[in-house]
Amino acid sequence: MGKAVGSSQLGKLYSGDKKVFKHREWRGIKDTWYDYTRWLGIMAMLGKFMLHPKNVKGFFRYRWMLNYLAVPMMIDKHSMGLRGPQLRICREEYDLVASDVAKLLTKIFSMDQNLGAKPEKSKHVVLMDENEMTNIMCGFPNLEGLSWETASCYVCVLLQGDAMTHYLDVVQECGMPGDVCPMPASEAGICIDGDMPIFGKCAVQCNTTCDGSLMGNGVISRALERNGIPVHQLATPLRHTEPGVQEYAAQEVRNAIAFIEEQTGEKFDWDYYFECAKRINIGARECSEWLELSKTDYPQVIGNNILLYRETEYMAIAGKVPAFAELDKKITKMATEAYKNKTMLAKEYRHRAVIWGVQSQFYTDFVAWLLNCWGILPLFDMLTMVSLDPISEDDKEQAYYDMAHQYENMIMRNRTHGGYEVLLDDLWRYCEEFNADMVILWEHIACKALDGMHGMFEQQAREHGIKLVWVNHDLYDPRVIPRKNLRQDVNRYMRSVLREEPLDPTLEDYDDTNLW
Amino acid sequence: MKDLKHLYYFENLLMDADNELVRQAQAEGRVCVGSVCYQIPEVLMNLGNAFTVRLRAPRTGSMEMGTYYLTSLLCEYSRALLERAIEGGYQFLDCLMAPDGCTMINRCVENMELLKMNEKEHFFYQYLEVPMKADENGLNLYIGQCRSKILEPLHEKFGIDISDEALRKAVEEHNKICRLITELGNFRKEEKPRITGYEFHIITMCTYVCPHDLLIEKLEETLEEVKNRQPDEKWPFRARVAVVGSEIDDIDMIKLVEDSGAYVCADRFCFGSLPGRQEIILNDEEDVLTQICRQYMMSCMCPRHMDTPKMNRRREYVDEIAKEYKADGIIYEQMKFCDPWAYERMVGSHVLRDEYGYPVLTIDRPYAVGNSGQLRTRVQAFVESIEIKKIQGGRK
Repeated sequence: MGKAVGSSQLGKLYSGDKKVFKHREWRGIKDTWYDYTRWLGIMAMLGKFMLHPKNVKGFFRYRWMLNYLAVPMMIDKHSMGLRGPQLRICREEYDLVASDVAKLLTKIFSMDQNLGAKPEKSKHVVLMDENEMTNIMCGFPNLEGLSWETASCYVCVLLQGDAMTHYLDVVQECGMPGDVCPMPASEAGICIDGDMPIFGKCAVQCNTTCDGSLMGNGVISRALERNGIPVHQLATPLRHTEPGVQEYAAQEVRNAIAFIEEQTGEKFDWDYYFECAKRINIGARECSEWLELSKTDYPQVIGNNILLYRETEYMAIAGKVPAFAELDKKITKMATEAYKNKTMLAKEYRHRAVIWGVQSQFYTDFVAWLLNCWGILPLFDMLTMVSLDPISEDDKEQAYYDMAHQYENMIMRNRTHGGYEVLLDDLWRYCEEFNADMVILWEHIACKALDGMHGMFEQQAREHGIKLVWVNHDLYDPRVIPRKNLRQDVNRYMRSVLREEPLDPTLEDYDDTNLW
Repeated sequence: MKDLKHLYYFENLLMDADNELVRQAQAEGRVCVGSVCYQIPEVLMNLGNAFTVRLRAPRTGSMEMGTYYLTSLLCEYSRALLERAIEGGYQFLDCLMAPDGCTMINRCVENMELLKMNEKEHFFYQYLEVPMKADENGLNLYIGQCRSKILEPLHEKFGIDISDEALRKAVEEHNKICRLITELGNFRKEEKPRITGYEFHIITMCTYVCPHDLLIEKLEETLEEVKNRQPDEKWPFRARVAVVGSEIDDIDMIKLVEDSGAYVCADRFCFGSLPGRQEIILNDEEDVLTQICRQYMMSCMCPRHMDTPKMNRRREYVDEIAKEYKADGIIYEQMKFCDPWAYERMVGSHVLRDEYGYPVLTIDRPYAVGNSGQLRTRVQAFVESIEIKKIQGGRK
């Protein structure tokens, strides 16, 4: 283990029976010290979080809170093998996201009626889906759009793979088949199990990614309305690339805004909206820069460094938190500098890969493994490729269409809906644009929209001369397909089809059964 | 009861997608419009020289090719249709219209398009954005989509008259069928019904897959026959059930339920009559297309409608038909791997049991049920539980 990228034998950090690494990764004095101090910062954030009495209450009230103990480990996993600027980009991003989630939890627990708060305490909160754009809240500076699912479900699985298995069992005991997507199913399970925090003045639900997500909202809306929280459903068109549906989409946004105004008594504030719109545009511009770098021989902001951060910024933040726009610029600066220095993220790049499909939520650090183990450069993933179109910073009428456009192009739904063109044709176009020779195709077995193109992916990959590697998983449920099997999918392809040897043999097969 | 005179004829019409009446109509130079979902208003495709066939894959055996393209986790209806398309079973169609209803059926049709499953020169596919909420905004969308994706292409490609007069005439023809089916269906409300659920299901299904004008004579004769039919002295069923859920076009499904002792008195599923065979009532004040779309949008009971009033309405509607058709219990069914009905089945079964007090059986089933012993046992057990409740004076 040492200072140089690719000098570590990372597989040796794993131990089958422990929840954490055997020891911290040695990255040379400078990088190890940097990484360690940032790790201490995260530990301090956790400690500070637990000093808040409401948070302690929340910790003991909700089963899913236990997963948050794994925050430092989660960041460690996602920064494996990184050095220099990439390590810094990673730490900056994840620390900001972690602090944003800590704030979200603190807000939720301070308003949660299950923890004794009065309903008035959350009269400024509009509940949103976890997979929903929050940009309509850019017009309400005095309100907050919060998602309880993000805190109780989405983040938890990132932290600990089996975080939702209990809730999946709960919902299946109620008659839900095991073949539906475990994401909305576990949200429904949380509702049924009484582990949903109760707060908010009203809620705006949306048909986000898929049929399962749409239907899961039905279970949640019943729970919300039982608790006196009125729910509005915003129906975003599915065939979102067609001009004929755009007026409908814009009107849906107008109706949702009118609902919020009616429920909260607040008026849509265009000045604040356009202020946020400017930051949304900054995010899009900077992301475009990172993607431009990824077209070169020396990509810099790739894999985990673009994946979760961009997801958070695009949908949950949507220009409302200035720190993200500032960090975007900082990342571009660091990445550009690293590009000039021809900085590599592994000692050798063997394949340039597009990561397509729906990522395994319990194994998002898999892309780091691809790079460290096999030298597969994960250029970008499907969920990152959302709308980068600039939005208006001063035209009110156009703003409705912009908001609608972003709603239509929410993460994942912009590929799972909209016809095969956005899922298939765009993939091959990206492969060409980014000079990728390989596609790592997540096959989330319960994602019907992706599964429905299985045969066409294979057929067209052959036609385009692309190496297609399937990686099967069940999104939230590692009991169905464990992490080891995901790695085996790649190992088998690399060994038997491409006849390659791993860059780091210690990573080819190791035991991480009990790892957080 | 004595067998219905035309039952065998109706059963035979369901043995092939490209049945005798479809072939006859096409031989007369008529245009066959394929569809896959209730949410493409049927009446707009039974216009002028055109007639619609809702796709089925009768006598489905292996689905290996469909499974290769769609994986084993997509619903078998989608896989069976794709398999049949790959086998060349839908070559007779002149076009295919699909809504972005459920993802799986949408992907099924997209695969057909990508695999170029129809060789006719002017064949085309249309995908419609259909509303997911029943409100004015949804209605405007629906009207625009029906106009640009159904009416205009039919006019441009096949010269079909899409004027208001033509629409009114199509509605009139549609209503004739609906009246016949409703009248037949009303016999199911009798204490000893003179038509079985199976017979009714067969007849209703025929109306979705045959040109209406070629079918109507046999339907009228059947109605007359049923009017004069004498039910058996001893009623062979032990309970009355409403079947609620996803697509059923398998002729064995309702048969299996009835062979297990449960009379199917109400059919709230795709290819059923509730809703689907209600008359479209037109006024003279409003544009015809708007009226048609509104009635389809309001009557649609598909779980993909996501607004709270519609969600609640779905369960109220089940209660209403259960009362109207005097059901002792409800069978919630779903095609295996159907996401929308997986959720609706779970929630609906709890609501109907806990809030409305019905005995409820929930099942998931394959596309082709065949003679499933497992399902038979479950229905038999459900019938027994209803009987025991009746004896013990339990709820309903």
